Amino acid sequence: MNEFSFLLLAFITYLLAMLTGFLSLFGSGSQWRKVSYFLGLGGLLLHSLSLTVRTVHSGQPPFTTMYESVSFLAWSCVLAVIIFERKFRLEKTGPYLWLVVVALMALASSPALPKAVNPLVPALQSYWLWLHVSVTLLGEAFLAVAFVASLIYLLTPEKKPGQPSQEARRQNLDQLAYRAVAVGFPLFTLGALVFGMIWASKAWGRYWGWDPKEVWSLITWLFYALYLHTRLVHGWKGKKSALIAVLGFLAALFTFFGVNYFLSGLHSYA
Amino acid sequence: MNPKGAWKFLTSVRLAIALLILIIVLATVGTFIPQEREAEFYQKNLPGISGLVLPLGLDHLYRSPLFLSLVFLFLLNLIFCSLQQIPAKFRRLKTDQEAILSASSIILEPQERSHLERWLETDLIQLTSIFRKRHYRVRVSATADGKTFLARKGWPGLFGPELVHLGLIIIIAGGLISAIFSQRISLALVEGQTEKIPGRDFSLRLDRFTTEYYPDGSVRDWKSLVSVLENDQVRLQKTIEVNHPLKYAGMSFFQMSYGHDWDRTLLELEIVWSQSRRRTVTLKVGETIHLEDGARLRALSFIPDFQVDDSGQAYSRSAEAANPAALVEMAEGDKQVFLGWVFHGHPELSRYQRRTGPELKVDLKNFSAPSFSVLEASSDPGTDLVWAGSGLLVLGLLASFYLPYREVRLKQRVGSPPVLLTYARKNRDAFHREVKTLLSLANKKDLKDKGDE
Repeated sequence: MNEFSFLLLAFITYLLAMLTGFLSLFGSGSQWRKVSYFLGLGGLLLHSLSLTVRTVHSGQPPFTTMYESVSFLAWSCVLAVIIFERKFRLEKTGPYLWLVVVALMALASSPALPKAVNPLVPALQSYWLWLHVSVTLLGEAFLAVAFVASLIYLLTPEKKPGQPSQEARRQNLDQLAYRAVAVGFPLFTLGALVFGMIWASKAWGRYWGWDPKEVWSLITWLFYALYLHTRLVHGWKGKKSALIAVLGFLAALFTFFGVNYFLSGLHSYA
Repeated sequence: MNPKGAWKFLTSVRLAIALLILIIVLATVGTFIPQEREAEFYQKNLPGISGLVLPLGLDHLYRSPLFLSLVFLFLLNLIFCSLQQIPAKFRRLKTDQEAILSASSIILEPQERSHLERWLETDLIQLTSIFRKRHYRVRVSATADGKTFLARKGWPGLFGPELVHLGLIIIIAGGLISAIFSQRISLALVEGQTEKIPGRDFSLRLDRFTTEYYPDGSVRDWKSLVSVLENDQVRLQKTIEVNHPLKYAGMSFFQMSYGHDWDRTLLELEIVWSQSRRRTVTLKVGETIHLEDGARLRALSFIPDFQVDDSGQAYSRSAEAANPAALVEMAEGDKQVFLGWVFHGHPELSRYQRRTGPELKVDLKNFSAPSFSVLEASSDPGTDLVWAGSGLLVLGLLASFYLPYREVRLKQRVGSPPVLLTYARKNRDAFHREVKTLLSLANKKDLKDKGDE
């Protein structure tokens, strides 16, 4: 069994977790919900094996290429799903988050992302690579939870005839998004911005240089700062803050993928 | 605007929201318009918007007056907001020392208010234990007028947002100091070279420079062994690597890059007069050596990556030895017998050569140039402030999210219905709901508190 067989098995297990998750939305699906949860847990184990094998084999942190980073982001998302499902119950958000995980796994396994291990360029040889990237991606995984919850919030109509629990449902989604931001935002701040600045100052001799990746992670951070402040002003809560959580995650995605492909800068190592 | 209006404007969350949006928009624009280029670049590549880019300073957006004034306004907003909030928070913490039953109760900040259906009497004791179990500090006071119940926890969270804002103020201040006072000097040193650091009373000497490679030929690391010299005395010797700078006297030295001093390339040339007559010589670029029979050989120049432009001029496409070539001249007496470019690895290439006899050939057998290490010396007095600010920022975030401030007040005054007041900075509605659940617990006779919800 090599890293790719483990990855494939994890992928299949996540796929099943997603399917059972959607099944749990119909009728009294509490059994399916449990099945989905344990499938997710099993997938996480398989995925962890894949990442460990890769790390041992390459002797490098498992996020030095796009394939590794996407795989690690998917792993972090699963971790976030498991934690939130246990603590707060994800309800409708769960299966759609599995959809995100499955999409990330499909991207990671696709031939578009080369699987070869590349030797690390001098700038990347630092233990800050571990800290900076892992904490950032972990933070982004929780922001993904907020993204999905906010998206569902925006797509849930305010009032539906014959469904008096609609408002409570929307309130729960709003709560869920906020709780996810409460975990993701501090992690993102620490990993992306603070650890990023410390590493930049060690490797490049300056903590901030308006490199596109730096600017975009700042933009992402500002979006979530905006999200938190809009909740303080009455009337902005709900719809507007949900919209901002969605935009914030899109900014995070652009920071992750877009900057590498569309803008050139110091972070384009590939 | 009157002073009161200005104060309100500068402390408002609405201003913060407006500024956040504006800064997001401008910062985004700056990543799509290439920064710090010549004016011609924008006229040529962005003809449609160059009339907008240049006057607004969007070509150097992050240090343009437009962007900096937004940052400045943001800084003012942060400062004024803190000035308003910090005393208010302290007042809130102090209120339990005041007569909280007094008619003029201080209502601070937004708080959720609702009326209770009934008066709480003996169940106040139960309520106290419920809240104590949840780590609240509880105070119950009773007077002839009535009773109050005050429970609170998480004072670090009360100041969390202020810590975050203070952290940001310090980071922005550090950034301004960096922008004004930081210095960066690039030093290119060959082995053995000593360079005085401008404005400082010490020098740096490169003792040894090595490049390490991976098996596939890509660079693994650059290592510069350097000595710090003060009054010709070696104070310190250290190897600088990427990610491992040298810190000395408030300055940091970073391994940035490396290169070859191609102007001092040592060439190994083979001169072939005929099958039986050949000779190999070594000389530096710019040198002339005398051969037998009064012949002279001169190495005029060396190009590491030979390329010819449209006008027939030779130039180097890059600083790497991708297509190395040397310009060589040979003369016998007053007569030039050979002039032209000789290419390493391509002895047959004679396109850029002029010679008298078809037999005469010059071949570039080998070449080596001294390599130099590019170090960057920087001093940045803003850095420590940025670290201090970052620390406060992270602590503040952790406090606000994980030790949130919670406050519950029950007021039961004779002649008015009992009032429940809850205060939370974040997640207000959820907290109000939670408290109501806790209150309903107190109603139940045989109270079995099962911990958290």
